[in-house]
Amino acid sequence: MAEKTTLEGTPVAAQAKGNVNDRKTPFLVSFLRRWGTIIVIVATGLGFALASPYFLTLSNFNNILFSMIISCLVSVGLTFVVVGGSFDLSVGLTVTTSSIVTAFLIPIMGPWAAIVCALCVGAFIGLINGFLVTYGRLSGIVVTLGMMFVLGGINIFLTDGYQIAVDYGENAFRFIGQGKIGFVAFPVLILLAVVAIMHVVATRTRPGHYITAVGDNPMAAYYSGVKVYSWLILAFMLAGLMSSIGGVILTSVSSSAQPVGGEGYLLEAFAAVFLGATVLGKGKPHVFGTLLGVFFIYMVNSGMNMVGFPFAARQLFSGVILILAVGANAMLNREEIHLKFI
Amino acid sequence: MSNWLLEVRNLVKDFSGTTVLKGIDLGFRRGEVHGLLGENGAGKSTLIKILTGVYGASSGEILLDGQPVRIASPLDAHRLGLGAVYQDAELIGGFTVGQNVLLGNEPGNGLIKDAEIHRQAKAIFDEIGIDIDVRREAKSLSAAEMQLVTLGTLFHRKYKVIVLDEPTARLSASEVELLFKIIQNFLSQGITIIYISHRLAEIKRICDRVTILRGGVVSATLDRDEISEERVTELMVDRSRSELETYNAGHSRQDVVLELDRLETGKLQPLSLKLRAGEVLGITAPVGGGMEQIELALGGIVRSSGTIRIDGKVARIDSPPEARTARVAIIPEDRRKQALFPNLTMADNICLPVLSSLSMFKLVLRRKKAVYGAEVMNQLNVNPRQPGTAVKFFSGGNQQKAVIGKWLKANARVYIFVEPTSGVDVGAIKEIYDIILRMAEGGAAVIVISSSTKEILSLAERVMVIRNGAVVHDAPKTACNYDQLLAISMGGRGTEIAA
Repeated sequence: MAEKTTLEGTPVAAQAKGNVNDRKTPFLVSFLRRWGTIIVIVATGLGFALASPYFLTLSNFNNILFSMIISCLVSVGLTFVVVGGSFDLSVGLTVTTSSIVTAFLIPIMGPWAAIVCALCVGAFIGLINGFLVTYGRLSGIVVTLGMMFVLGGINIFLTDGYQIAVDYGENAFRFIGQGKIGFVAFPVLILLAVVAIMHVVATRTRPGHYITAVGDNPMAAYYSGVKVYSWLILAFMLAGLMSSIGGVILTSVSSSAQPVGGEGYLLEAFAAVFLGATVLGKGKPHVFGTLLGVFFIYMVNSGMNMVGFPFAARQLFSGVILILAVGANAMLNREEIHLKFI
Repeated sequence: MSNWLLEVRNLVKDFSGTTVLKGIDLGFRRGEVHGLLGENGAGKSTLIKILTGVYGASSGEILLDGQPVRIASPLDAHRLGLGAVYQDAELIGGFTVGQNVLLGNEPGNGLIKDAEIHRQAKAIFDEIGIDIDVRREAKSLSAAEMQLVTLGTLFHRKYKVIVLDEPTARLSASEVELLFKIIQNFLSQGITIIYISHRLAEIKRICDRVTILRGGVVSATLDRDEISEERVTELMVDRSRSELETYNAGHSRQDVVLELDRLETGKLQPLSLKLRAGEVLGITAPVGGGMEQIELALGGIVRSSGTIRIDGKVARIDSPPEARTARVAIIPEDRRKQALFPNLTMADNICLPVLSSLSMFKLVLRRKKAVYGAEVMNQLNVNPRQPGTAVKFFSGGNQQKAVIGKWLKANARVYIFVEPTSGVDVGAIKEIYDIILRMAEGGAAVIVISSSTKEILSLAERVMVIRNGAVVHDAPKTACNYDQLLAISMGGRGTEIAA
């Protein structure tokens, strides 16, 4: 008797009061949550196609892909860090640094060793960031902001403020950025391969799995025996590595390394990652979404260029779309109390 | 005595001068369910936290399989095979149930086999009888389901000892049966369960042995057939502390300050009550019983239906600012998260609700703020008397005084204290009681929500026990005694009294 009174309460009641999310979401809301961003992207593309006959062509598509290569690599790397629950503001300048390292080392050790070194430098930058954010107990924003300035300094120091040219004789190296297979640019193939690999890493492997877990609930991951710090460091290293692949391609495309100019990639990457988070209603960054995010930004650029909008309008349009997409997504995924303002 | 799987010897834990565990000697057998009982502050959770690496012991030994071990972090405990499920089950919200169950132990080298994860998770669930879709996203689960899934996550981790802290607090009857089945399954694998609960009926049913802690020492360890309500209550009650240092003889006046008419939330059944000026209402309940809903509803944090009247006027409280306008002050349980700004100074914290009265032309006057801060600190005896020091450097008791200090001059009509002395050092408890009673004397209506029966009896004029969201007991304090209240909230004979 005593037992029964203690354990009263029905399972139905427990479930009904248990969770607000159990409420049935209307079809339209769940549909928009899933497909809204893609619909906007496709609609924008169709709009440009109607406005300009040159927009919806294979060669323009090719151009868009070619122009977004470096930005896309940076964005995909950044995706891992954001998924892991941190920020990396140094990804843009890592491109510049590894580009300079490549150009700097080619005369010394030949192109292949130079590439390897550049990639190592990228990963090493990520390692330092990751180490400071975890074992060093520092904020990701602050550490990588500091790293951004450090890299800026190193870049000027290595180049004296001048560009470093790559010898025109380095045909194999130049093929990386300038070669073509059929009518597809070789770096586009590199990009697609890297994105495909990273998509698999993110969705199907332990690193991707654990980085996601750490970003979602580090405490639960910790109690489950997941090596939280190691995986977050790895996320930073992947970001550094992706950026340095971008850096190598950048050097090859232009046959030179510029001392400045990486900051732009950072802003595009953040826009792409957060736009991409809304793709398929995941609410969290994912590699495929990031790819679409970058594509959207560059598509708008190309389209507005063709239609003849000024640069200012392009910027404005991208910004408004980003806020709208993220805002709409937040509206569709209402949390109970919103008290996080990062 | 090496037949213990896990043994603690002369375990002592000091928290900055306050000894919480005063030399615990205790052994756990392989494959037993060992109940742990004790009042709040008896040292249960401290003991558990030491065993699972959250705290380090001040002195004493822990032996696992007869070997001394060092448990410096939760990861150490995990490696040694000591696991725990806390009341707030932790899951990865964005993962599926299956991915959570196998987290840290995914099948496949290189590529993770998603289908295999869910197949294995399903197999575990089938074996233990949990009927939850393994492909559901963890964040869509109800609290009870989360609790069950968390139990499922323990399966592949090869634990030797599993601590369950109030595991039934959020479960319904059928889910409790499921939990017991899961426990049986653990036992058949030779796993030892340490089972913390306030519900005696459960303890009697599931535990092989039960240890009762009292005031930081082991009061007794009983075998199952020795467990009886009288025995346990007697062993639990700290007679040395039960002479109440503080006693509220009653300050209530005629005028009704707070009137609730069928106040209802998702987890609270309609509650009506009248509270007079100067009256202190004590509300107690087993953990998860729903008593915190009253705080949340009156504080505007959880949506409620029903009518709230304050001083006869209907108050609509749907958000914290509305609660302030209605002159309801809440002193929440989790000070650090819900009430204080740990990096701001003591004076800044205390002055926050009354800034406008310390301002001239909308500019806060620093001098006035310092003076006011010092004045409140004097009144509440906050030590050290340093208004310019960040709150995080003060002790728990002084932090609690700071939270109270915030509302001291805010002229609230209703004060709601939730677990006012949790984490407060013994010395400061009486001072805090006195402050609470002073507020009642000043004419405010006071509600004290606490899981400590002793606290309720010290402070309250009227006592309510809430279980499963419903009031099961409501009487003036003079009609209650300690053992009886403890029994009601543990779920023994309480129902007869309520009926």
